[in-house]
Amino acid sequence: MLRRTTLAATALLAAGALLLSACTSGSATPEPTTSSAPDPDASAVIRLVLEPGNLDIRETAGAALDQILVDNIYQGLISRTAEQDIVPALAEEWDVSPDGLTYTFTLREGVTFHDGQALTPQDVVWTLTTRKNTPEWSDSRRLANVATIAADGQNVVLTLSAPDSSLLWNLTGRAGLILKEGDTVDYQTKANGTGPFTLAGWRQGDSITFARNEAYWGDKAQVAEVVFDYIPDNQAALNAALAGEVDAVTGFDANLQEQVEATGAFALVTGPSTDKGTLAFNQTSGPLADKRVRQAIRQAIDHDAFVEALASGETMYGPIPSLDPGFEDLADVAPYDPDAARDLLAEAGAEDITLELTIPSFYSTTIPQILVSDLNEVGITLEVNSVDFPTWLNDVYINQDYDLSFVLHTEARDFENWADPDYYFTYDNPEVQALFTQSLAATDEGEAAELLADAARIVSEDAAADWLYNGASVVAVGTNIAGMPSVNVNERLNLAELAKSNG
Amino acid sequence: MIRYTLTRLALLLLGLLVASVLIFLTLRVLPGDIAQLIAGTNSTPEQIEGIRERLGLNQALPVQYLDWIGGVFRGDLGSSLLTGSSVTAELAEKAQVTVPLGILSMTIALLFSLPLGVLSAMRRGRAAGTALSVGAQAMAAVPVVWAGMMLVVVFAVWLGWLPAQGFPRAGWQDPAAALRSLLLPALTIGIVEGAMLMRFVRSATMQAIGQDYVRTAAAKGLTRNAALIRHGLPNVGLSVVTVLGLQVAGIIVGAVVIEQLFTLPGVGRMLVDDVSRRDLPKVQGELLVLTGFVLVVGFLVDLVHRVLDPRQREAT
Repeated sequence: MLRRTTLAATALLAAGALLLSACTSGSATPEPTTSSAPDPDASAVIRLVLEPGNLDIRETAGAALDQILVDNIYQGLISRTAEQDIVPALAEEWDVSPDGLTYTFTLREGVTFHDGQALTPQDVVWTLTTRKNTPEWSDSRRLANVATIAADGQNVVLTLSAPDSSLLWNLTGRAGLILKEGDTVDYQTKANGTGPFTLAGWRQGDSITFARNEAYWGDKAQVAEVVFDYIPDNQAALNAALAGEVDAVTGFDANLQEQVEATGAFALVTGPSTDKGTLAFNQTSGPLADKRVRQAIRQAIDHDAFVEALASGETMYGPIPSLDPGFEDLADVAPYDPDAARDLLAEAGAEDITLELTIPSFYSTTIPQILVSDLNEVGITLEVNSVDFPTWLNDVYINQDYDLSFVLHTEARDFENWADPDYYFTYDNPEVQALFTQSLAATDEGEAAELLADAARIVSEDAAADWLYNGASVVAVGTNIAGMPSVNVNERLNLAELAKSNG
Repeated sequence: MIRYTLTRLALLLLGLLVASVLIFLTLRVLPGDIAQLIAGTNSTPEQIEGIRERLGLNQALPVQYLDWIGGVFRGDLGSSLLTGSSVTAELAEKAQVTVPLGILSMTIALLFSLPLGVLSAMRRGRAAGTALSVGAQAMAAVPVVWAGMMLVVVFAVWLGWLPAQGFPRAGWQDPAAALRSLLLPALTIGIVEGAMLMRFVRSATMQAIGQDYVRTAAAKGLTRNAALIRHGLPNVGLSVVTVLGLQVAGIIVGAVVIEQLFTLPGVGRMLVDDVSRRDLPKVQGELLVLTGFVLVVGFLVDLVHRVLDPRQREAT
């Protein structure tokens, strides 16, 4: 399953985004061009696209929440960098037993919650236990292999019933966030975490403000305040940047690079992301049940056209993006070849077929336009059914009532969906499921990644779906801003190092 | 007059009740629900069902409706399913943006449409009159979104005089800043609505010019303009009041678009967000209040009309 629905969030990004020139993707953090020192009293304004509906990180799905709350407000025992490396957070260090069944975390001393209370090992035990036993909490199933959670002095020990190569990774996400035992804070509109920022205010429908946590256990934030300004419209975001009302614009349309850079106050930075523009095939019945038809669709699509239209990102030919373990370039599986596509369709007796594409309405029309025209070339008529996101969730995700569906899946390491026959992808291959299970059970990271790569190749060879592009993080950053993340910013935006100078 | 007012008031209440049923039912036609959105794409059917139960979404529709409308009668518009916040409180907060925006838009529209409309009627057939008339035609045809973009490009991006988007976080604590951020959006609505109003004022004025009583007054020695101003314009005013009442609805619709464009945290943007999240109790409350507002304005216009126009009073 998808870890959380990031779909919507990133969806919007793609939306405006379709015009650019090819930007190179680099992960370098932009450096300020002014030489003045960071201003510790600064307030930095960051444009984000999708506002969360509420702030309850325990229950409410959606990347909009992870993006701002994880790392900045709430923290886990461990965290991950933008480059996807696992690093210490509330635990100073950890140790995994050779059999992969015992995880020991040493809890940092001197950590306090935003309300002033000290973090205890008991808080950790309580949170993880409650998470595991409360199905309504997001990602509770990610702790399924954890049999016992116990504190031993400053150590917290997790004992597993079976090895789980994804556990550490899962603990860097929602499943591992540590809350205060029995906290009575109103999680829907307030927050009480241990991170470098506290929640200072939420003007619903407008902005969320974080203030520096002066009692933070680690290096304190370099700005006094961060304001997340929710501006869904790309043109409005550009105007806000040009008028000097925001300091950084995430989800930017790379096609507007020249405009935003014209004044010299901003620079466009692109970084890799795990956003996967996924064209799902409902393969339970109809023409799409035939692998030859699915393969034909993949070969009829000119994937470079999407990268060109977005002016960012890269082509992608399998379910695993380059930032995730198990990535392999699978371009050879479905090269662009309309003639081969026509042959395959003829062979399958599926000439002159009509299919429906269900797509959430916030995506740019460029995506369906390219698809309609490419598929038309090989004799497939594509009818576009543009719906709002709740309708998409209902029709496509829940009821699996669709032919083709486009959605941007943003979560990192979400291969599990290809091993779940009940997921809306409707892909059911026991071999892939077995490889995935083996990969989870592997105690060696390299081995786990290899097994995933094998499974991913099979998924791609089965034409279980098509992947139109691997999106990029596109951020316009003010030249007086340093430390603005540029990798996978749709999913996590760690602002611990953000600094703003007056220059 | 009292009987008329009471009848009219009863109709108003009936209208609201019918509207409440329609609002309730039409929202239920939308596919998808908030429980699915909360649970997201990592959810099991059981999890969604659990959330539905907690939120009371699995109750029968008549029960849900009666719950809601019963609350409305007790002065409680309900609360958000997502945040638990009170609809009344949220509306009051967002109205602090939308109401001043509406008033400002209307003022701008009136400020130029009344004098220019009368002027273009009086200068009819001459260059100035034609120019004004064509100008109004063109402006009324401009899409609101485009007009807004142009204003932003000129006044926010090029000249840097006014903010391109947003509303000060301090709200009206800094009235100057709040007003500045409303100026471009209000100009956008005001220009488009005002252009329509101007065409109306022009034709109403031309009609007045042709009326017997204006001609009579002119024959008695008043200049044509003096006759028009003294005897014709009060009648123009009367019909403008009627049209203004109708335009209130237009301004509300305009606000929905403009608040998106300028990312203003007003009622319009809240409404769109809440629909896209299927926070139906909130949407219901918001729509009911907006409908009520339009109906009340219509009611007041009718009353004003009767007071101002002696002919209607005699008719009943």
